[in-house]
This record gives sequence, structure tokens and C-alpha cells, in this order.
Amino acid sequence: MKQVVDINRIFEENNAIPKSKNGAVNYIAVPEENFITTMANISGKNVVLVGLFCVQNFDGHPGFSLLYVLEKRNYSNIVIVTRRLEQPLAGSVATLFPSACWFEREITDGFGVTFPDSFDKRHLFLHEVYPEGFHPLRKDFRNQPVITSEIIPVDNEYVFKKVTGEGVYQIPVGPVHAGIIEPGHFRFSVIGETIFNLEIRMFYKHRGIEKLAEGKTPQQAVQIAESISGDESAANAVAFCMAVENTGKIEIPKRAWQLRTILLEMERIYSHLGDMAGMITDVAFPKGASPFYVLREEILRMNNNLTGSRFTKGIICPGGLTKDIPSQAIIELSKYLEDFTARLKSATDSIYATSSVIDRLETTGVIKKELVNLLNITGPAARASGVPIDTRFDRSYGIYGDISAQFHKRIAEKGDVLDRFNVKAAEINDSAMLIHYVISRLDKGGICIGIEISDGYALSLVEAPRGQNLHWVNIKDGRIDRYKVRTASFCNWQAIEHAVLGNIVPDFPLINKSLNLSYAGTDL
Amino acid sequence: MANFKKQFLLYTPGITEKLTFRDEEFEKLGFKLKAEVNSIFGRSLSIRELDSGSDNAAEIEMNNLSTPHYDVERFGITFVASPRHADVLAITGAVTHNMEIAVRKTYAAMPSPKFVIAIGDDACNGGIFAGTYAVNGGADKVVPVDLKIPGNPPSPLEIIRALHGFMTVLSQRKTKHQQ
Repeated sequence: MKQVVDINRIFEENNAIPKSKNGAVNYIAVPEENFITTMANISGKNVVLVGLFCVQNFDGHPGFSLLYVLEKRNYSNIVIVTRRLEQPLAGSVATLFPSACWFEREITDGFGVTFPDSFDKRHLFLHEVYPEGFHPLRKDFRNQPVITSEIIPVDNEYVFKKVTGEGVYQIPVGPVHAGIIEPGHFRFSVIGETIFNLEIRMFYKHRGIEKLAEGKTPQQAVQIAESISGDESAANAVAFCMAVENTGKIEIPKRAWQLRTILLEMERIYSHLGDMAGMITDVAFPKGASPFYVLREEILRMNNNLTGSRFTKGIICPGGLTKDIPSQAIIELSKYLEDFTARLKSATDSIYATSSVIDRLETTGVIKKELVNLLNITGPAARASGVPIDTRFDRSYGIYGDISAQFHKRIAEKGDVLDRFNVKAAEINDSAMLIHYVISRLDKGGICIGIEISDGYALSLVEAPRGQNLHWVNIKDGRIDRYKVRTASFCNWQAIEHAVLGNIVPDFPLINKSLNLSYAGTDL
Repeated sequence: MANFKKQFLLYTPGITEKLTFRDEEFEKLGFKLKAEVNSIFGRSLSIRELDSGSDNAAEIEMNNLSTPHYDVERFGITFVASPRHADVLAITGAVTHNMEIAVRKTYAAMPSPKFVIAIGDDACNGGIFAGTYAVNGGADKVVPVDLKIPGNPPSPLEIIRALHGFMTVLSQRKTKHQQ
């Protein structure tokens, strides 16, 4: 019998590598007979399953391979455990790593690889309208329209968990909601006004992003990365380009990274401003929300000034940027940011001075710290629950390694809506300072290098406004063979199911807004 | 009577903060739009927004229409919570298969006469998703569409400009009908 692989040792041995360059990635093949034991040995020991996906014809293995992306807190390297399957069948790790549950269901839908011992075998992104036995990510399926059913027979309906008992009733909400928001279904089980259980069903917006990228050149695929989630287009474009650049170990010009950083932080600012405005709107205080909306609109206009797009689309490309940002626009931004922080402070101060708002935010929707590793909760949601993780600092990329000494992670302890509000306010402030800092040291060099696309695969991790986004690209013959995206939203949705428990239904919109997750980024 | 007011009107409304921004083009369009809305829809145009698979940037711009810079409620535009209250269904996204039934049901729930507007490239013709397994490819594949506003996403100004154009067409149609 082969020896069980000691994943912990791999983390120890490779930790010495500096934290810059997005951390080292070690691929370790673990034989099937030892796989579950290997994973059981590291479960619960500060090792987090941050990604799990399937690749067909990976590294010379003709069938399906599963790649388990593992992060260990405070360690700089990433370990990717590869599991080569002989048949489309595998043992589940969802009881060892709860974050695996959605990943495994995703793999079953995409590839038809089943996990017979899993506690949840329901479909994930393929809803009832899709034909049985349809697995779009398999290589033998050419991307083309499929015939779907126009009605759903009752016995084919998705089964929600049933909570029974005296006085328990269900509230179904969605997919079409009352406001201007994205579609998703929330099934509440409620006693009186108190939420007893919440089950979230997503993937109404499944657009087949991963399959769409296959066969495209990396240059063509940037637009797809930008469409993952409109308000994270810079983060996803950078993450995708960085993965492509990592396959060829390409270094891009410093000025390109500086400008990318400005765009990434602009995105964080407008995204967080929208979240804060949303939280205040959802407690019915529009006067308090307005200043945040005003600031956000100004930032979107600044984006337009910088890039020609309010959502900074179409400027990031593999090798750098497609065009330079005019110095006039940068000067205007720098000038604009001068009184930005003071205006932000006056907006937040007016919220802090309104006790009826604070009453609603405080102690509402607590995300427990112990759930963060289990569910791979990421971004401001994790930081507000006392877990100091931020990819910009932990596995810095681009120029973040040089500037992270000037800044620090924003942490809060209680994990309620107010803490998330505070963390986001502090991060907007930091981002504004960071942009200022970068502008004052802006390089004069080029913005793009012609890159030669080399075959191979690479991982990249980027801290998007909502948390860590994971991209993995496999390039064959200069074209994308497999593109895996896992956004922060995908993981954090499961946090909401826990955060709402014991809260009242009218607080749900507020809790939801305090995380403000992307449905598009989850559904892909 | 005037005396009475003087004596008893103790409450004077506070003055809200003055806004420092003003988009001349947007304001002009807005008031023209208001005049058209008044004559065709009797003061207000109710829009039900429906995301059928956008990348969410279009939703942000739609939401922006109600924020201080734009505040389109001044021009008789309201976003309503139910399709039953709507004159117009504004669809974003390429209509995914997973949303198709919901889109049909939402359209069916609207009272007639009803109009559908496709907002953004994906809703107009499927955009980059056209011809793939997960989408129908454009809102008009599922419900009749009266107006298409392209863009990735269209800006608030572009949306209002298109709405104004649409109102002009409706107004001409109405005059023709009356003749």
C-alpha cells in the first residue's frame, strides 16, 4: 500500500517562499486509495478548501481529474491536490470540508462525475428545464443551443429542505424580486417572524461562462472574464490575465500594474459605497444613503474618465493594458480624491449619529468566526468576523507587495452588519489613500508587452471587493482548454444561510445587502 | 384666513441640501420625457425591471436612475415592485434557460397594453452569449420586444434618451390612432 501523502509537510516545506508573486503553487497527485484518508488528516487543521473543480484530459490523464485547491492560514503557498479518476465516480469530502458541497454538485452537473456518498446530490446550476444526462463541460459537448423544456412537471421540481413542526411555515421569495436586483430564490422556514432556516437556490443566471471561454484565445476571453460580474470586471479581468501571464511566467511593465491597481481599488470603492448605501436604504433612511450614492456616481464618472467605461471594461489585457490612461484623467482623479475622504467621513458620521439606524445594524446577521474556514467565507465578510485574511496582503500580486507595508488589513470582531459596515467604510478610505499613493509614484514606462501565449496551466488569486476570486486557466495550442472561475460570492452565499438564523424576516434584506453578493458571479 | 395661517402654521419644512451637480442634457431630456409621459400615460410610466441573466452592471445603472444625480421619479418614471403594476417590462440579460419560465410568467402577469424594453447588448441580441447552450439569446426570443437599448451596459443618460425616443414614437402612434 502506498503511503498517505502528508499535505501539512508540503505546506511547511514551501512556506519559506516569499509571499509576493501570488504565493507558490504546489501540485500533488494523491492516489485514489489514499485520497480520503489524506484529506481527513488535514481537515479542521487550519487548512481551507478554497476551490474544487474538474478538468478533463488533464496532464496526460485521459479521464476526469479533480483539483482540490487548499490554503493554509498564515502560509504563503497553495497546495493543489490532484485526484485522477478512473471512472466518473468519486468519494465526497463534503463532511470533512463543508465548502466542498456546492463544488461537488457543480462538478456533477458540469461533467457527470458523481459523489455517491454525498449528503446532497441535487442539481446545482442545471435547473429542471435542462435534459437529464446533459453535462455541458464535457469535451464531447460542442457549445450549441440545447432544447429545454417549457414546463416543469411536479415530480421533477427541485426539493427544498423541509423544516416541520408546530407553527413553522415557509416563505418562498424569488427568483423575481420586488426591487431592481438579480434573480435568486430564498426559501425561509419561519416561526412567527423569526427565521428558523433559510435555503438559498441560485444559478438562475447561469450563462455558461466557463464553456464559452473554451477554444478562445486569451485575448478574446478577457471580455468573458469581464462579464462574470459587471461590478467586479476589473478584478476578474486582472485575475484572468494574471493566470494567463503566470502560465508563461510573464512580467508585465510596472506602470501597467500601477494602473491596474488604481482600477482595482476604484472598483473596491464604488462597490463598497454601493453596499453601504444599500444597507442604509434597506433600513428606510434614504437621506443617509444619498451621500454614498452621490460619491459612487462620481467614482463611476471618474472610471469613465480614466478608461472610457463606467465599469472599467475593455482596458485590461494579457500583458498589461490595451491603452494608456491619459495623464489629465489621472491628475483629475488625484484632485478629486483630495476631499473624498472628508466627504466619506461626513456621510458615515451622519449614520453613526442616527441611533435608529445603528439599532438596526448592531447585533444583526452575525457570521460566526468558526464558520469562516469551514465554508471558505472570504473578503470583508470574513474580516468583519475577526479573521484577518486579505489576498492583497497574504499572497500579494503585482505591486501590492510593495505597498502593503503602508496599509493594514481592516478587522472587526463581532461579525454583525454594523461590523461589515465599518470594515467597508475603512476599506474605502484605505483604497482612496492607496490610489493616491500609487499616483504619486506612477512610473513613466510602457503599459503593455507583446506576449507569446505559452501552453500550460496556472492559478491566480485576486482580492475582489467581495473577497478572494480564484481563476485557473489551462491553455492548449494557444487556446483555452479549461477556464475555472470561483468568485467570492459563490462561497459567501452559504454564509448568509447561517447569518440570518434567529433574525427576523424584515432584517433579511439588510443582512443580504451587508454582504451584497453578486448573483451573476455565482451563477456564471 | 391669511391671519390664521400666520398664527398657526408653526411648522416650516426644512430646506434640503443644495445639489452642486447638474447635467444640462439630462435635465432637458428629463423634462421633455415628463411631458410625453404626461400625455401618453397620464402622469407616470411604471417600469418593472427584470434581470434574466445580465452581468449586473445594467442593474447598477437602472438603480442609478433613482439616485440623486438622476432621480428620474421627477420625470414620471417609477420602478414598481410587481409586474401587475407595470406599463413596461425592462429586461436585462440574454434570457438564460434557468430564467425563461420566470420571464414568461412575469410578462403574462402584466396588464395590457404592455411594452417590453431590452436593456444592454445581451438582452438585445444575446451579446457574447448568443448561440451557446445556456441562453435563449436576446429577450425577443421569449417575449415580444418593443425597444432595444444597446450598450455594455447603457449609461443612465443613454437609457433616458432611448426612453424619450420611445415615448415620441408612442405619441405619434397615438395621434395616428385618434385620427
